[in-house]
Amino acid sequence: MLLPFFEWCDGLAISQAYRDSTYLFPVTQALHLLAVTIFVGAIVIGDLRMLGWGPLGQSRASITRSAGSILLWAGLAVLLTGIPQFTTNALTYHRSWLFVFKMYVLAAALLFTVTVRQRVAGADEGRLPSWVPKAVGAVSLALWMGVTISGRLITYYG
Amino acid sequence: MPSIVPAFGWLEGLAWTTALRESPFGYPLIETSHVACIVVFAGLVIMMDLRLVGLAFTQAPLAQIQRRLFPWQMGSFVPSMATGILLFCVDPLRYYRNVLFLAKLVFLVLAGLNALAFHLKTYRRVEGWDEDTQVTAIARLAGGASLLLWSLIIVSSRLIPNNWFK
Amino acid sequence: MKTKIFLVMLVVGAFCAVQPAQAHHAFAAEYDLTKPVTLNGIVTRMEWANPHGWIYLDTKEPNGAVKHWMIETAAPSQLSRHGLKKADFTDGMTALVKGYQGKTDPGLANGRTLVLKDGRNFYIGSVGGPNDGAEPQ
Repeated sequence: MLLPFFEWCDGLAISQAYRDSTYLFPVTQALHLLAVTIFVGAIVIGDLRMLGWGPLGQSRASITRSAGSILLWAGLAVLLTGIPQFTTNALTYHRSWLFVFKMYVLAAALLFTVTVRQRVAGADEGRLPSWVPKAVGAVSLALWMGVTISGRLITYYG
Repeated sequence: MPSIVPAFGWLEGLAWTTALRESPFGYPLIETSHVACIVVFAGLVIMMDLRLVGLAFTQAPLAQIQRRLFPWQMGSFVPSMATGILLFCVDPLRYYRNVLFLAKLVFLVLAGLNALAFHLKTYRRVEGWDEDTQVTAIARLAGGASLLLWSLIIVSSRLIPNNWFK
Repeated sequence: MKTKIFLVMLVVGAFCAVQPAQAHHAFAAEYDLTKPVTLNGIVTRMEWANPHGWIYLDTKEPNGAVKHWMIETAAPSQLSRHGLKKADFTDGMTALVKGYQGKTDPGLANGRTLVLKDGRNFYIGSVGGPNDGAEPQ
């Protein structure tokens, strides 16, 4: 499925540049992990707040706003460092069932975050029954950690 | 000073480290847990540091952020460290000879000292900060140092498998 | 604002997915794609290990000298998936390995395929290596 797209990615000049260079790929990998860490940190602090376990001195909506800008910047960095890594190994990923699985979890995480989570995290305290933010926080954590974990496992169970 | 290499050789030869090294499930589980826990731990530390330097979450009282996040940071740090030690034990000589791994350890120790120093200096005064959302010079310094150190820790960790600078 | 967030996260997510998926190190950081090798020799040792296995292979140079190779393989979980077992290796057996030589270490190689004396063929490459047709489809 979508093989031509993966083949096109594989053939890009940037993919070849990354394949040829000793340092480009690893350095990009390292910066990517840093960006992912910051992204996950911002997600987790928001989710903990929704679960009632994180910092309480700031309203849920205000934590969400702060975390939101971090998510955008970290997200951009994840994107910029992620693209060349994907295209360079596109054909390898195309063959991997775990990669496909991860894409599904990722799509779910993204969709959930920009719809349900966004709305619930930004709602004023007390407007929703208390189980709602807790459930949303738990699902968000599960989805995003699911993305991280399934990705890591590709090396082993591909 | 006696060499530590024979001790590492002995460690590597133990039945449980060998079993872990050869396992199709145990090792992937430990490595994946290590990465997942570090990402959560370091992510939360970085969030707290962003507060300390005044870049984010500026409306949260400092004492609150620290106190409420601390159990989660410890909760993810302990398994990070435990899994890290296990991973080391599986192949101690390879890591011992890896410059980037040693650098990571140095940065970790520095980050720990930085956290300890900040905690000792501000612990008694933190109650007075509950009402005060201004970030003081100490917090900014410690937060900045922590941000730098944790970035270095993450980057050096990711570069370890490349076996550079032999 | 919401659309902007959505769009960024959509693409971010796509690459978030991919990155941790990557093998934990870059092939190009250590191995040279322009130096494919075919090594026929004697296995002196095989380390069936995570995160990589290592085949120690001695080959004979044209001048008669013995060259010691250290060949990286995929993790045990991947090797098993492709049908290989730890018991398939005995010290002193002959084997043929195809792979790529190290960039800075000429005695190092990244193994992609292994052929045993009984003719059985295995894919031993770790994830993230070159797409040169050796990998099983």
